[in-house]
Amino acid sequence: MMNNTSNGMISAPSSSSATANTQSPGIKTYFKTPEGKYKLHYEKTHPSGLLHYTHGKTVTQVTIAHLKEKPAPSTPTGTSSSSSASSGFRSATARLLGGGNGNRALSFVGSNGGSKNVNTNARIGASFTASSSSTSTTSTNFDGKGSYLVFNVGDAIFISDLNSQDKDPVKSIHISNSNPMCHAFQPDAKDGHDLLIGLNTGDVYTVSLRQQLQDVGKKLVSAQHYNKDGCVNNSSCTSIAWVPGGDGTFIVAHADGNLYVYEKNKEGATDSTFSAIRDPTQFSVDKAKYSKSNPVARWHIGQGSVNCISFSNDGAYLATVGRDGYLRIFDFSTQKLVCGVKSYYGALLCCAWSMDGKYLLTGGEDDLVQVWSMEDRKVVAWGEGHNSWVSGVAFDSYWSSPNSDGSGDNVMYRFGSVGQDTQLLLWDLEMDEIVVPLRRPPGGSPTYSTGSQSAHWDNIVPMGTLQPAPCMRDVPKLSPVVAHRVHTEPLSGLIFTQESVITACREGQIKIWTRPDTESSSCSETNPTTSKLSLASKVGGSS
Amino acid sequence: MGAAGSKLEKALGDQFPEGERYFGFENFGNTCYCNSVLQALYFCVPFREQLLEYYTSNKSVADAEENLMTCLADLFSQISSQKKKTGVIAPKRFVQRLKKQNELFRSYMHQDAHEFLNYLLNEVVDILEKEAKATKTEHETSSSSSPEKIANGPKAPLANGVHKEPIVTWVHNIFQGILTNETRCLRCETVTARDETFLDLSLDIEQNSSITSCLKNFSSTETLHAEDKFFCDKCCSLQEAQKRMKIKKPPHILVIHLKRFKYIEQLGRYKKLSYRVVFPLELKLSNTVEPYADIEYSLFAVVVHVGSGPNHGHYVSLVKSHNHWLFFDDENVEMIEESAVQTFFGSSQEYSSNTDHGYILFYESLTPTK
Repeated sequence: MMNNTSNGMISAPSSSSATANTQSPGIKTYFKTPEGKYKLHYEKTHPSGLLHYTHGKTVTQVTIAHLKEKPAPSTPTGTSSSSSASSGFRSATARLLGGGNGNRALSFVGSNGGSKNVNTNARIGASFTASSSSTSTTSTNFDGKGSYLVFNVGDAIFISDLNSQDKDPVKSIHISNSNPMCHAFQPDAKDGHDLLIGLNTGDVYTVSLRQQLQDVGKKLVSAQHYNKDGCVNNSSCTSIAWVPGGDGTFIVAHADGNLYVYEKNKEGATDSTFSAIRDPTQFSVDKAKYSKSNPVARWHIGQGSVNCISFSNDGAYLATVGRDGYLRIFDFSTQKLVCGVKSYYGALLCCAWSMDGKYLLTGGEDDLVQVWSMEDRKVVAWGEGHNSWVSGVAFDSYWSSPNSDGSGDNVMYRFGSVGQDTQLLLWDLEMDEIVVPLRRPPGGSPTYSTGSQSAHWDNIVPMGTLQPAPCMRDVPKLSPVVAHRVHTEPLSGLIFTQESVITACREGQIKIWTRPDTESSSCSETNPTTSKLSLASKVGGSS
Repeated sequence: MGAAGSKLEKALGDQFPEGERYFGFENFGNTCYCNSVLQALYFCVPFREQLLEYYTSNKSVADAEENLMTCLADLFSQISSQKKKTGVIAPKRFVQRLKKQNELFRSYMHQDAHEFLNYLLNEVVDILEKEAKATKTEHETSSSSSPEKIANGPKAPLANGVHKEPIVTWVHNIFQGILTNETRCLRCETVTARDETFLDLSLDIEQNSSITSCLKNFSSTETLHAEDKFFCDKCCSLQEAQKRMKIKKPPHILVIHLKRFKYIEQLGRYKKLSYRVVFPLELKLSNTVEPYADIEYSLFAVVVHVGSGPNHGHYVSLVKSHNHWLFFDDENVEMIEESAVQTFFGSSQEYSSNTDHGYILFYESLTPTK
């Protein structure tokens, strides 16, 4: 009765590409996309002695940090010169597209972002050698500019120079008796405290990245310490973010389902107290009992860990994902739930906004990359292609659509995802290609002309409600444009920059993949049909 | 041991579930394979309830003839009727009976937990079927009213060679699902479907994959060609064909066995695959036939193999009971965090100090499957 024999019989030859991958130790140093070849430029990691000690204890997150020329600018600069798509990494928030809810023209994410960043690119390029040499030799009086990667492994925070070939970090900071879990950077932060660090003990630090680089020691210097010894909340920090344009306001998510709002500029360092949570199953916001304390507010999201938080670029919306599988979108200023949806199944692990604020990506334990539309208030696509949990998602805001001819109707987005299957997947989302699936009459043959549309597409969802998981047949499926195994370990993060795609694995290895040469790659050769959103429910990206 | 019990009681405090008992099992020399599976089955609530019901209704009969099932029912009833909430029980009678009955389990060698589960469930099925048949002949009403039958049921002969409509026991109602094996002849396009039942699914595993992905591979299309051609009834000849396995009826309790012990031909022996295979706490099956799509399952027990090789090591189990996760290691029972479940996924490196790997997963359907 136990079906051993038949199982063995059919499942033996089923594995194809994945097995081949795991058996070959070598990982290709490039991958091809319709627009050209991405090449492994260099790798960043932590000093090797640390490896075994930390193994499995923490999951590495990466933050990209662009330091500007002058130390700790006290006058706010007009526009943020640096930008990067933030994702499973909390990165310096770019505010290129300000309003976010703009018109059609704004939705040409790729080209728009690209053109605006040309000079940024040049500047980073110029600072290349200067910054790397200055940090390696005379880092003690560092006050230049540069791009850095901040990442956590075990009990340490490492800072690497993004543009140097050096594999080793320029700076290691050890936090005694606890592990950093998450971090975020804000280039325009006032009074120089631009880097946030959240620990497994619940403690939170704000520091100046520049001051850390200037210091020779292995400890955090001039740190502002919040939630000391977890006195307000002692569950692990999971995700941390600056409120865009929030003038020093930041948010920390915890493993017990709470978020805390801190105001960096607030006088007085007393710790806050909050009233008990009335109903742990319900969303509630509470203000601190005393006004001169931090954190200023507690948001109880729900039961189970909040795994990731992400602000829309204009700071209007806050998205959270967590153990209960729900994506929730809040209006940050009114503290109200706007909308949300449950994953197909299992926890959600990561989320990221599109630059224009129209779409949200989530990834999680159902192996799916989910695309949520703010306009439709619906899941508009499921990306199938990962062979394990999806741990990082991000829109590529620098990518320009090959057919961005200004027709306006053909909006296209490029996004990426990384998973515990060690793969990086790139996806194209072309909204006019989305076909609304029709409900098939039970038992009947598939019909596309008759039959009523399924409830998934019909219902008008009232404001502030959480939708149940959609049915498999109701959601259009996407197949990846490219799938590439980038590390030997499960992945934990993904960042798109102007020049490259950055991938990180859980154990603290980071790889920087340079984009195709814009000159040599001819966009005309690309075949858009391979990358379109289609209804084909092919499994596992088997091509 | 009393201290360990009270520690668990303290940990649970006033959250200790009403009427629930958490008892460790004594180890009689390499009987951890048995202990870990018995704990998972005890906390498989529909199985426990049916077995206890059987125990109460058959008390007098059970006295007459001892078998593996009466020993199991006896053990479960012993646990559930304990005055103390926690402690240790010696499943002596059950283990003795097991060893008496099957020489495979008689030695003090390390045994395979999945083989034991397989043997135990089939034994219970056999006993129930025999009893059902006995009552059937007693009443001499073999046709209409008696046990329900599955349409499209298996044609497989029963152990004693009787070719009759199979009897559906409560074990079937809990664990049995139906697979359909669809073969499409590439010449005439005719689809031949053959159904078979299963009490668990054995899945091939890959490094850094998920259960979802293993299930997809299980149902992926396979082409039969060359030596392996398919005899098409319509074409009356061997033809190339495409074969695909789907779940026609998902079981109420889905038992997934990860094939971690693999025969390596070059080595001439079995090897343990320590691959990292992640399993979510909630799961839906992607490979079902239409009306059963989107059925959600929830993980409630994991049998874990501890050790680097196939011929030695240890078994423990993780069990979810009343929304608490518990860790059973022979006589020890501890409460663990839900997030600790992920430390049993396996390792993404071949040689790792982490050797505790999920081996048998028990999922319960949250949606009624009937």
